[in-house]
Amino acid sequence: MSEVSNQSPVSRALKWFDPRAHSINMIGFILNRITALGLTLYLFLHLFVLHQLAQGSAAYDGFLSMIHNPIFTFFEVLVVTAGFMHGLNGIRIALNSFGVGIRSQKMLLILLLGIAVLVSLAFAVHMFTV
Amino acid sequence: MNNTLYGPKSNEGAWLWFIKAVTGLLVIVILFIHLIVNHFVATNGLLSYADVVRYYQNPIIPIMEIGLVGFAVSHSLIGLRGIILDLKPTRAFIGVINWLFTIIGVGAVVYGIWLIFAIVSKGTGS
Repeated sequence: MSEVSNQSPVSRALKWFDPRAHSINMIGFILNRITALGLTLYLFLHLFVLHQLAQGSAAYDGFLSMIHNPIFTFFEVLVVTAGFMHGLNGIRIALNSFGVGIRSQKMLLILLLGIAVLVSLAFAVHMFTV
Repeated sequence: MNNTLYGPKSNEGAWLWFIKAVTGLLVIVILFIHLIVNHFVATNGLLSYADVVRYYQNPIIPIMEIGLVGFAVSHSLIGLRGIILDLKPTRAFIGVINWLFTIIGVGAVVYGIWLIFAIVSKGTGS
């Protein structure tokens, strides 16, 4: 414990993202953290970018035509995937916090992450074909 | 208090933890509807300004979007504060973060609501 306390904040932060020697639960914890940071960044960027809607059709349609390409669609798919992973993993965490499903939390995590990947794939196929 | 996702951390408080859990659940529900409507119900996924303005004329949509902005901003900032608490910051730093995140959160929600009403007004001609 004292070893952890002596580490710098940066070292402690980097430990979140180190998947080595982590249990499946810890990987769930790390995924929750990474997706949380990504989604928070996206949320505020999304709010900022949408101000173009208030500027009228020329500004917004021009912006949409700029981002309507496979690179931006790929990042949108990443956001959708992060949203499903964070949301479904969050449900597991909330259930576990209330003492529900603690014994089967590993199985639950694998199942929910599997569902997140499948649903994200469905969205990806749809988004790349529209 | 141990460093875990389960239950409130030290300095987080049971109420903040509870609000984070409830807003998280509400974001999941509204965001799922938001994604389904934007990508599968709306023709071609709201890909023009006219589509978005028309979409916002349904009174359910602005109400849903106001809820989404409020719940998502609250959940994200309380969650980000929780991540910062894991770094064991000083009490003074936590105080700064509390004020900063409150200002950012209120600002983001007010801006989001203003934007929603601005989009609605484009369709009513006011």
